Amino acid sequence: MASAPPPSAAKLYRPNQYVSLPAELDPDTYDTSPEKLRAEAERLAIRSRLKRQYQLQLNNPNRPAVIENPALIRWVFAKSQNVYPTFRPTPKTSFLGAVYGLAPLIFWFFVLKSDRDRKEKRIQEGKVKRPFSVFF
Amino acid sequence: SEMSKDMMPGPYPRTPEERAAAAKKYNMRVEDYQPYPDDGLGYGDYPMLPNKSQYERDPWYQWDQPDMRHNWGEPMHWDFDMYIRNRVDTSPTVVPWHTMSKHFFIFLSTMLIMFVLGEIYPSYRPVGPKQYPFNDLYLERGGDPNKKPPTVIHYEI
Repeated sequence: MASAPPPSAAKLYRPNQYVSLPAELDPDTYDTSPEKLRAEAERLAIRSRLKRQYQLQLNNPNRPAVIENPALIRWVFAKSQNVYPTFRPTPKTSFLGAVYGLAPLIFWFFVLKSDRDRKEKRIQEGKVKRPFSVFF
Repeated sequence: SEMSKDMMPGPYPRTPEERAAAAKKYNMRVEDYQPYPDDGLGYGDYPMLPNKSQYERDPWYQWDQPDMRHNWGEPMHWDFDMYIRNRVDTSPTVVPWHTMSKHFFIFLSTMLIMFVLGEIYPSYRPVGPKQYPFNDLYLERGGDPNKKPPTVIHYEI
């Protein structure tokens, strides 16, 4: 009985979340269906419309000092001012908030406090001389 | 700035009309537009673009901003400042990721185990305590120059 054919290079490569698949192994490059062509054409139309807007502003004799990029403004807005209105306390967000926000605080509180208590006990017992420090 | 409220990012789109309006707002196709899943983390209706760094974009195309490899008006990835060319690079690697990580961790763990074993069972040639001249450095260690130092002899004849 013949063994199975060797696995394809794409399977050997094993796509992961850190790097993308090389173009040669991605089946999307070899897909020449009309839907894909239409999608590419629509994207090209959008891209060329935006490029035309930009080039008109760029080559304008009375060019404004700064050509503001609405995509950039939207990105900045979304990351800074749109987070609080769209935030909703759900089980996942409260759990993440507790893990990232409260847990380090509580953990370091207990670590530092116990360390200082142990040092204070050793100083009281006389094993260690109290260091002389003016500022704290 | 002078942009109206409906040009700015907003809450998660619920109806298909809101999705279409959001796609138009972000200069994307309606089929391409895919917002982040709505679990209250604060993304709103910002589109979820593929996690590819700017390294992967064509270096020979005439971008509007060649250093960022970004066109004017094109929707920026949420982590755009992470994916610039000075930072994270997601270009495909020559060797598959799992092979790379396997090789690295095998090497690292072997070296660490050998170091730990070397600490637990040290092995070196026989040594004795170090012998200092001038009567065990009597003057350098703060001995009184007027007194006669105790003689220290390290040899045997």
